[in-house]
Amino acid sequence: MYELLQHLINGLAAGTIYALVALGYTMVYGVLKLINFAHGDVMMVGVYVGYAVAFLLGRDAASVAGALTVFTVAMLACALIGFAVERFAYRPLREKPRLTALITAIGISFALSYGFQLDLSVTAFGREWTVLPGAASKRFPDIIKAQRWASVGEPAPADPDHPEAGPGGVCLRFGEDEQASGCDDVILWNWQVIGFGIALALMVALQVLVYRTRFGKAMRAVSYDHRVAALLGVPVDRVIALTFMLGSALAACAGILFALKDKTIQPLMGLYVGLKAFIAAVIGGIGNLPGAVVGALLLGLCEEFIVGYTSSSWRDAVAFGFLIVVLLVRPEGLFGRAQAEKV
Amino acid sequence: MRSLAPVAVAIVALALLQWLLRDAEYAVYLMTRVGVWVILAVSLNIVNGMTGQFSIGHAGFMAVGAYSSSLLTIFLDEYRVGFLPAALTDQLFFVLALAVGGVMAGLFGFLVGLPSLRLKGDYLAIVTLGFGEIIRVVLTNLNVIGAGGKTVVEGALGMSSIPPYTSFFSVWFGVFVVVLLAKRLAASSHGRWLLAIREDEVAAEAMGVDTTAYKVRAFVVSSFFAGVAGGLFAHFLRAINPNSFTFVESMQVVVMIVAGGLGSTTGAVVAATVLVLLPEGLRTLFLQLGGADQSLAQKVDQVRMPIYGLLLVVIMLTRPQGIFGSTEAWDWFSRRRAKGGGAKA
Amino acid sequence: MSAPLLEAKKVSIHFGGLKAVSEFSLEVRQGDLQGLIGPNGAGKTTAFNVLTGVYRPSEGEVRVCGERVNGKRPFAINRLGLARTFQNVRLFKELSVLDNVRVAVLPERRPVFDDARVQRLKRAGGVPGVLGAALDAANDYREWWRAFLRTPGFLAQEQGVTRKADELLGVMGLTHRRDELAKNLPYGEQRRLEIARALGTRPKVLLLDEPAAGMNTREKADLMVLIRALREQFSLGILLIEHDMKLVMGICEHLTVLDHGETIATGLPAEVRANPKVVEAYLGEAPAHG
Repeated sequence: MYELLQHLINGLAAGTIYALVALGYTMVYGVLKLINFAHGDVMMVGVYVGYAVAFLLGRDAASVAGALTVFTVAMLACALIGFAVERFAYRPLREKPRLTALITAIGISFALSYGFQLDLSVTAFGREWTVLPGAASKRFPDIIKAQRWASVGEPAPADPDHPEAGPGGVCLRFGEDEQASGCDDVILWNWQVIGFGIALALMVALQVLVYRTRFGKAMRAVSYDHRVAALLGVPVDRVIALTFMLGSALAACAGILFALKDKTIQPLMGLYVGLKAFIAAVIGGIGNLPGAVVGALLLGLCEEFIVGYTSSSWRDAVAFGFLIVVLLVRPEGLFGRAQAEKV
Repeated sequence: MRSLAPVAVAIVALALLQWLLRDAEYAVYLMTRVGVWVILAVSLNIVNGMTGQFSIGHAGFMAVGAYSSSLLTIFLDEYRVGFLPAALTDQLFFVLALAVGGVMAGLFGFLVGLPSLRLKGDYLAIVTLGFGEIIRVVLTNLNVIGAGGKTVVEGALGMSSIPPYTSFFSVWFGVFVVVLLAKRLAASSHGRWLLAIREDEVAAEAMGVDTTAYKVRAFVVSSFFAGVAGGLFAHFLRAINPNSFTFVESMQVVVMIVAGGLGSTTGAVVAATVLVLLPEGLRTLFLQLGGADQSLAQKVDQVRMPIYGLLLVVIMLTRPQGIFGSTEAWDWFSRRRAKGGGAKA
Repeated sequence: MSAPLLEAKKVSIHFGGLKAVSEFSLEVRQGDLQGLIGPNGAGKTTAFNVLTGVYRPSEGEVRVCGERVNGKRPFAINRLGLARTFQNVRLFKELSVLDNVRVAVLPERRPVFDDARVQRLKRAGGVPGVLGAALDAANDYREWWRAFLRTPGFLAQEQGVTRKADELLGVMGLTHRRDELAKNLPYGEQRRLEIARALGTRPKVLLLDEPAAGMNTREKADLMVLIRALREQFSLGILLIEHDMKLVMGICEHLTVLDHGETIATGLPAEVRANPKVVEAYLGEAPAHG
């Protein structure tokens, strides 16, 4: 019972992170009809930027202001990188066959993920600056000090610190440190709650943006037919650029949450998260925003449960297996519309 | 048959080369590696270049071939065909194992080809990638105990003590066969149907081409050869594990055929050769220059991957048709002979 | 009167809530030269797509040479004897003119497992269907093997294909372009190539989707002569979609008029032309090109 609950919590936590990344994928696919393979790796760069900022802030990082700074700078950095990638790599290829852009995206993904595996330091202004971090995993600074937001479980017998037990012999405690003993069969962490909160807030904001603002309308127009949208006076280039920046910023946020969850980061983290988020977007129906979220949550839960009850070596296969089943049974995804080709 | 003359010539030429190179260990090592990648590139070209389907999980088929052929040779190690000398028996079993590896890989190619019936472009790419990954994950969890309780396959550690049957001759004969197949296929009705599917699937279907069946056939034949390449690879390295067959390896083959020109067999051969020899050459150069300091040589390996990535981007932005586009070396020859140009495939 | 080569019986097709074509009925016999006309968006190309198997009819029945083809794949329908050209030219751009036609020509082969029996098995579905598919695959792989070996049988097959393709290029006046890439052809010749390619499939019925689009007066006149000649030479039944009234009235012997997916008139061109419903449907359209 407790195990189930823990898996549920972890699955949803992972799912919300995937959801933030999946939203970026689905938005970009919506306006460009392109799978931005490099999305996950742009996220990775953002995480490393966040890491650098946290490093520079030192002790101050573990405060609300510090955490906000890390998040904000990372999101801005990602937005910029996303803009650059779109402007210099995808825009020239917009009228070319989709395959050309896909190959380019894969190229960028590789260049970033394997480029960041190189060790490159530069000495300037009397200090050593790391330009490329290298392949080894790094411990991500605790910008949010991990605390148990809530924990449920069997109380330790005769625990002198907490003599009281809840009804039915189950104890429920709030706000304890990581190392607290007893009553830890199911733990909901503070960063998970914060993650849920941030993700929820961002998703709501995105929903408002896409469906209640003029920009959102422009986005949707471009996603239906960018040529017609251009004829109608929609600034297509700007809309696409902003969409990219938005998606990348969301991904940066997801990346930092990921870093808080796993506590370590390494340059290849973007590849797999990206791929799985993309799978989540496809499962939900690519181009469909709520679908991406649902798909991501489903995927997070599936992964967590299967890994929890078998072994972690099957983790990667879950996502792809899920994808193949969905594409065979309902290729347009759960919420997608079947696309017919005009003959 | 007259058309088998090239095969006879190839056999003689390769045997001669093998004998000439018998003492040049490093050259043979290099050429064997090149050969394996050329087979992978030319075979993938059949699906990606000729049929226009974007498959990026080729390493998975290679893995299937590597593992199944190795399991067979290890199993057959104890057996002998009575009247034949041992070395010949070994080679016989090797050929059998390669064939089995190819057929197994072809079977998986069929399984991967099936979803391709309904999927286009991006989706197909992700599914093929997914299949490649699933195969890798399954192999990471595969444990096989042989006769007498000896562990033959040990999950993530893979297999070792694979008999070293691969020779310069076998690899390059494989190269010859796959190149000949690609060339003759392209010049036949069947190849033209694959090309038609690439050009315009709807129109091809309207002209009586069973597009779904043919797409699957392309996958099967292509993955068959990937399996053979895997078998050659396994019996060359003598030890394999699932990490030799990841998405990275699949992408390397993709980079090769994109750089060479999608649809051009010549391009695939040239690009594969260059992209294997170049890092190797650089590494040797740096080893010699650096003396005891190995770090620069190691850098080549690390730098190789991001450079491949950048290479893809640069090619797509500047010359997406690759070096050779869709031309072939043999077209160039025939065009010089015939007046008014030969028809391009 | 001969049996119809192509029959549509009350064919309808819905896309979601939209009825693109409703209760469409048509018969094409050998020697016919019929036209399918109507204002833009009337559903003519959609009707073609249903007839050729690109869309599956929501209601009604389509028969080719007597055989029901609802739900069959386009390539199977093509092999029964129905060929088409496209409204927007869909040639194999990077292939040569000769190769474009060669793709359409089915080689005469002697498969290991008899083709007719294999097709029957496949149609049965279920386990026999799987067996049929496997035998079909075996046949194909053997063909690839013969191509690899370049057996005399294979070479003869290929020569036959090339011969037939060259013949068709001759008929369509494209022999001088034989080795050019299809994408390099002038527009008028591209449209002729599409027809040549369709003829390569040895059809009994030919569906032409706006064959005269983009042509000048001279080319259209030539086209009219050509279409009649093709009907004779290849013993075809022809159904064409066209907007050019002069061409339609000039060669069609029977017309079907669609408007918003519904058939509003059928019959002889003179009758249809005078039909007030037809005139009304076209009112507001640009004057017909003369």
